[in-house]
Amino acid sequence: MEDIVKKRIKEVRKGDHNAFGEIVELYKSKVYQLCYRMLGNSHEAEDIAQEAFIRAYVNIDRYNIDRKFSTWLYRIATNLCIDRIRKKKPDYYLDAEIAGTEGMNMYSQIAAEGMLPEDEVTSMELQALIQREILNLPEKYRSVIVLKYIEELSLNEISEILDMPLGTVKTRIHRGREALRKQLRHI
Amino acid sequence: MHEYLDEEIPEEHKQELKEHLQICADCKQHFNELVKTVALVQSTSHIQTPENFTEKVMMHLPREKKKVGIKR
Repeated sequence: MEDIVKKRIKEVRKGDHNAFGEIVELYKSKVYQLCYRMLGNSHEAEDIAQEAFIRAYVNIDRYNIDRKFSTWLYRIATNLCIDRIRKKKPDYYLDAEIAGTEGMNMYSQIAAEGMLPEDEVTSMELQALIQREILNLPEKYRSVIVLKYIEELSLNEISEILDMPLGTVKTRIHRGREALRKQLRHI
Repeated sequence: MHEYLDEEIPEEHKQELKEHLQICADCKQHFNELVKTVALVQSTSHIQTPENFTEKVMMHLPREKKKVGIKR
């Protein structure tokens, strides 16, 4: 896949506008998924995912063709998501009531019943609950968890995307995992 | 435990962890919860990309890319 992408990038650089469409097709699902998991809202996710591709296009000459394209693209997308999160919620990420208000009713209902009636919990509800807990993570843990478990990237690639030492990536994954464990262990 | 979950655990540590989990109920529970958490997060189903996503991106690309580059 990387070979096709690099060929298309060379075409884009020569001014072939349409070659970029193929690149978008190849990566749209990964980039949208990343934005959705980071932001938790389909409208914002679409907005930011589009912006990521537009920035990649505008800055295509700055991409180092010897490196993996997806790493560069994910980096643009992740940074845009982080910027958006920081603008949206200045200093209360951890407030459980802020993120995912749609999830609130469902979650409080379940809490009120005390135990999860297993067969009544549809997969949809479970998905929503997991997504809500991902959104409740502070942004610095959320990005590593999403890149590692949703995008299934290696620790080294995550360190490159976030421009962060490998050790920091590991520490954040460990803390993110522990935070999620506390919320999800009773499911 | 985290070395294990990061898939970076050396064989000797793995053995140590295994032995410890057999005798320590607290750690075993903690470990199982972590494994479950990872499985839950990984299970979040794939989300459909909105329709016409590519078309919308293409519509919003600046027409004169080169000029945009020079202006910056």
